[in-house]
Amino acid sequence: MIIEMSKVRILGPRDRLPDVLRTLQDLGTLHLAPPTLVEALATRELSPAEARERRHLASALEDVERALAELGLPGGQSAAAPIPPKADLARWARLAWRVRRAAEGLRAREIALDDERALILKYQGFFSAFRMMLENEAQWPNATVYHVLLKSGDTESVHKLRTSLAAVVGPEFQLYTQQLSTGETAVLVVISAQAAGRVERLLAEARVQEIPVPAAYGGKSLTDAIPKMLARLGEIPRELEGARRDREALARANAPELRKARAGLHDRIQELGALPLSGVTPRAFVLEGWVPADARGTLETRLHTAFGDDVVVSELSKEEWESENAPVVLSNPRLLRPFETVIRLMPLPRYGTIDPTPFVAVFFPAFFGLMVGDVGYGLVLAALGLVLHARSKPGTLLRNVAEIMGPCALFSIIAGFLYGEFFGDLGKRLFKLAPLAFNREEALVPFLLLAIALGTVHILLGLGLAVASNLRRHPRRALGSGVSAVMLVLIVLALLAAVHVLPKGFFTPAAIGLLVAFPCLIALEGIVGPIELLSTIGNILSYARIMALGVASVMLAVVANRMVGAVGSVAVGVVFALLFHFVNFAIALFTPTIHALRLQYVEFFGKFYSPGGVRYQPFGHWTRDAT
Amino acid sequence: MNIVVTALAAALAIAIPALATAWAQSRIGPAIAASMAEKPELSTTAVLMIAIPETMVILGFVVAVLILLGKTA
Repeated sequence: MIIEMSKVRILGPRDRLPDVLRTLQDLGTLHLAPPTLVEALATRELSPAEARERRHLASALEDVERALAELGLPGGQSAAAPIPPKADLARWARLAWRVRRAAEGLRAREIALDDERALILKYQGFFSAFRMMLENEAQWPNATVYHVLLKSGDTESVHKLRTSLAAVVGPEFQLYTQQLSTGETAVLVVISAQAAGRVERLLAEARVQEIPVPAAYGGKSLTDAIPKMLARLGEIPRELEGARRDREALARANAPELRKARAGLHDRIQELGALPLSGVTPRAFVLEGWVPADARGTLETRLHTAFGDDVVVSELSKEEWESENAPVVLSNPRLLRPFETVIRLMPLPRYGTIDPTPFVAVFFPAFFGLMVGDVGYGLVLAALGLVLHARSKPGTLLRNVAEIMGPCALFSIIAGFLYGEFFGDLGKRLFKLAPLAFNREEALVPFLLLAIALGTVHILLGLGLAVASNLRRHPRRALGSGVSAVMLVLIVLALLAAVHVLPKGFFTPAAIGLLVAFPCLIALEGIVGPIELLSTIGNILSYARIMALGVASVMLAVVANRMVGAVGSVAVGVVFALLFHFVNFAIALFTPTIHALRLQYVEFFGKFYSPGGVRYQPFGHWTRDAT
Repeated sequence: MNIVVTALAAALAIAIPALATAWAQSRIGPAIAASMAEKPELSTTAVLMIAIPETMVILGFVVAVLILLGKTA
C-alpha cells in the first residue's frame, strides 16, 4: 500500500531558520516542498557567500569521492552526525585534495609499471627467439639489424618480405623467423648498412610492425638494451608492491576521516540546498513539506521541545494540496516487500492510486511457475535462491532477487506436480510420477485454455482495480472500466455457452447484455471505448504465452532426456543431457521472468496503473541509499 | 497431400510471425540500446520493448499448434 502523508507548514522567526533546518535534518522525516508564495513572502535565495560555499563544498566532495575510489574504498558509512563547524569543512576540503592527488599519483605509478612490464615481456619473447643471433650482432659491424613482428597466422607475409628484400637488395641479406608463444612471428632481418635506406622505405611502405629499441634503455641494438630490460623486469614487481603498500597505508591513514568528510560535506550541501525551499518575510520564515501521517506527531513534539512556542507546526487540510505532488512511500508486509523491487523498475505509482505490489506478489510467481512447471527445476531454483540469500546483504537488490526466487521456485514445484514433470519426463520414467492435472506435452488445448482463463481473471482484476482507483476522482472513467469489465464477463459467458461448457440458456441473456452495454460504453468513453475493449481482448490472448513458453520448456527437457539413449555411449549421453538441461534451466530462468514481467507491466498495469509518483526523499542526514 | 499442406500451413503460421518479430526486434534493439546509452534508467522499458513483438511469434506458435491438432483430431 501507499502510506498516508500529511502536509505540514512550519512558521517561525527568520533568525531561527538554520536551527530549525538542522533539527529537521536530524529528524529526517520531512520531504520539503517549495511553500505556496503569498504577498510579502519571498523565496529564500542563497546569498553570494552561501552559493560560493556550496560550489567549494561540491568540489571538495568530488575530491573525497575520487580519493575513496582511487584508494579502493567506495563502501563504508559513518554514522549521522551534527553539521560540522566551518573549520572542519575547510580542513576536509584540504585533506580530500591532498589524498586525491596522492592516490592518483600512486595509481598512475602502478599503471606505468604494469605498462613497462608488458613492453619488456614483449621484447623478452623476441630476445629469447633469436638469443644466439642477437648475441652475435656485434660481429656484424657493417650490417643493420631490423626486428619485425608479424601478426599470428600471417605466414604468407614472410614469403612476401623475403621476395621484396631480394628485389631491393639482391642476395645480400639474411632473414630468420621464429614462432612466438603469443602466436606472432618474430622476424630478424640482417642487411648491409649501405642498403638500410632502401629497406626502411620498403618496410614503411609495407606497413610492417618494426620493433624499435626503446630509448629508455639506451643502446642502439636490442643486445645492449635487453640486459637492462631484464634487470628492470626483476625490479618492477618490487616497485609495484611498494606502490601498492603506499596506497594501502594512505587508505588506512585517511579512510575514517574521508568517510566522515563525505557524510559531513553531503549534509552541509543538503542544508544549503534546503534554504531555497523556504519562504521568508523580513522577520519570519515558512517551510512546507510532507511527512508520513503517523510521524507528524513526532515532528511536532521535537520542534516544540527544541523551540517552544517560537516555531509553530500546522497541518494543511487535504483540500489545500494536490495529491499528485505528494511523495510516495510503498509499505507492505515483510513477505511482499521483495516484490516492491518489481514495482520500482517502473516509475512509482502516483499518490492516492493503488500500489500493485500484493497482486504482483501473487501473479508474478504464479505465471513464472506455470511456465517453468517442473519439480526438478523448481528445486534447483530454490537451492540457487538459498545460496544467493546467504551471500547477499539485507536490503540489497541481490537479497530481494533471492527472496523473489523463493515463491517462484515454490510455484514451479507446485506446477511441476500438476503437470507430473521432474526434469521433463524423467520423473515419469524413474518413479512413475503422474500428473495431478494434465500432461502439458500432450494436453496442449487444456493448457491453452488454462492460460487464457488466467489471463481473463488477471485482466478483470485490473479493470476492477481501475474502478476502485478512479471512483472518487474520475467517476466517469471508473464507470467506463466497470462497463468494460462487465462486457468482458458477458463475452466469456456467451463463448462458454456457445461451446456448450455452460447451458445454452446463458447465450441469449449474455448477448442481450452485450447489446445493452455497448452503447453505454460508447456514451462513457466515446469511440475509444470499443477500441479499448478489443485491445483488452488482445491482452487476454497475450496470456497464451504461458502455454507457448511452457510447452517449449518441457519439450527441451524431454529432448535432453532422450540424449541418453540417442548417443552410443551412455556416459556421453548423460553429459549431453546434463548440458541440455543446464541450457534449458538458464532459458527457464530468463525467458519466463521477462514474459511474467511483461504480463504485469503491459497487460495488467495497463488497466489501472497511474505512474508518475514523486519519490519520498526526506530532508535528513546523508546515507548511501540517498545518493 | 493433406498432411503436407497442413504441415506447410503450420510452418508458415510460425515462420512468418517469427520473421516479423525478428524484423521488429532488429529495429527496436539498436534504438533502445542507443537510448540506454544516454539514459540507463530506461532498462525496464528496454526489456518491455524487446518483449512486445514476441507476442506475434507466440501467437503464431499457438496457431501452428491448433492447425496441427485440428488435423490430427
